[in-house]
Amino acid sequence: MVDRYAPTSLAAALDLMAHEELVPYAGGTDLMVDEALGRPFVFLHGIEELKGITDNEDSFIVGAGVTYRELLAHPATPELLKEAVAQIAAPAIRNTATLAGNIANASPKGDGALVCFAADAEIVLRSAETARRVPIASFYEGRGKTVRRPDELVTAVIIPKKHLAGYRFEKVGARKALAISRVSFVGLMTIEESVVAHLALAFGAVEDVVARRPAIDAMLIGKTIEAARGAAEEYLAAWDEAIQPIRGRVSAEYRKQVCLNLARDFITCRLG
Amino acid sequence: MSKTQGSSHDGATAAVMSAANEAVTTATLPTTAAPSVRAVSVSFVLNGREVTWEGDPSAKLLDVLRDDLRLTGVKCGCREGECGACSILLDGVLVNSCMVAAGRVGGTEVTTIEGYCTTERFKVLDATFARRSAVQCGYCIPGMVLAAEALLSANPHPTEEEVRTGISGNLCRCTGYNAIVDAILDASKEGEGLW
Repeated sequence: MVDRYAPTSLAAALDLMAHEELVPYAGGTDLMVDEALGRPFVFLHGIEELKGITDNEDSFIVGAGVTYRELLAHPATPELLKEAVAQIAAPAIRNTATLAGNIANASPKGDGALVCFAADAEIVLRSAETARRVPIASFYEGRGKTVRRPDELVTAVIIPKKHLAGYRFEKVGARKALAISRVSFVGLMTIEESVVAHLALAFGAVEDVVARRPAIDAMLIGKTIEAARGAAEEYLAAWDEAIQPIRGRVSAEYRKQVCLNLARDFITCRLG
Repeated sequence: MSKTQGSSHDGATAAVMSAANEAVTTATLPTTAAPSVRAVSVSFVLNGREVTWEGDPSAKLLDVLRDDLRLTGVKCGCREGECGACSILLDGVLVNSCMVAAGRVGGTEVTTIEGYCTTERFKVLDATFARRSAVQCGYCIPGMVLAAEALLSANPHPTEEEVRTGISGNLCRCTGYNAIVDAILDASKEGEGLW
């Protein structure tokens, strides 16, 4: 009986999902926080096809069944992702929790999702009939809401490696372990021949979805370091305007100020 | 396994049978089950012994272990993965049993403190925890001991910092962390060759 809901192949899982609305269960650590009794889970841990980590020249691909523990242990995991994952929860959670689950669950506080936003990752969705790649920014429709159809499964996350080198990750929590982020931050900046070649800031736990604003970052991209320094105040003011923190246990004003401080520190450190 | 009759609630009934069919324990799911509940049969190895449990696959393993299988060494602290009191080993890997659905454990090996306490490794931890007075109220200790086992089996000679990371998901509200860390460090020396 149980085998029906613990498929051992992706095709079998997708076939189940084509016929019945099931809740995909990867690590379960977000799902089980709620009293889950009666939820129709389809357990994914037995599907070998979802357990792969692929390190390509330009991208790092994480299968939906890969746990944080496995990501931490893998030699090719990008340092930014490793640093963020090492600070997620505690060993017992990291032993089963997955990056894909963190993304698909669509909590605004997922530190794994934050990294994927900053890196402009793509989410791979499969159904029995279809396959598509969705940019992470288009994957979310709001807090807890994604474009995943009931018959689809997130099968992998594709993280472009191009801009990950010059990263900064910061997590502001109440304690070191088992801390749900009050604010989490990723800054990516690449400078080539004294020109800002790439810039991406992303803030987690602030809005319903990770705050990432490519249009604001574009204000500095293409500028020389000197010109970017001159435009920095205008850039930070645009972020000030853009960030609208949702109300939470920790005050919105505080979290907004932390975001702006992190942004200012990152920009001034990098531009000198 | 003694024969016990669970109290009657609304909802599905979970039957637990030992593989040897020596005795049957009947218990009731701890929470009222939704009407749509699909009872499934889940077989796994629990503390070295094959068991079959029937019930809602989305039930918390914590509840299954404590309420249906009567393994009360698995402590319930928070039910949301924040405290580590319900830690168990799932195929040798430390997990919070409140964060695991019963349907997930089919075909796996589950070790609780009741199973672990029969091992030579436990005897070492037992002795060092006692000597260091690492046990105060005791509620976190089953989880702490299993977290120590998970750490030492992956890293037999941890640094103090690695010990603290290893138990970072296990809260001791008596705040007796230093004695616990010392006990684990002692065990890593005294249990030389065991891990």
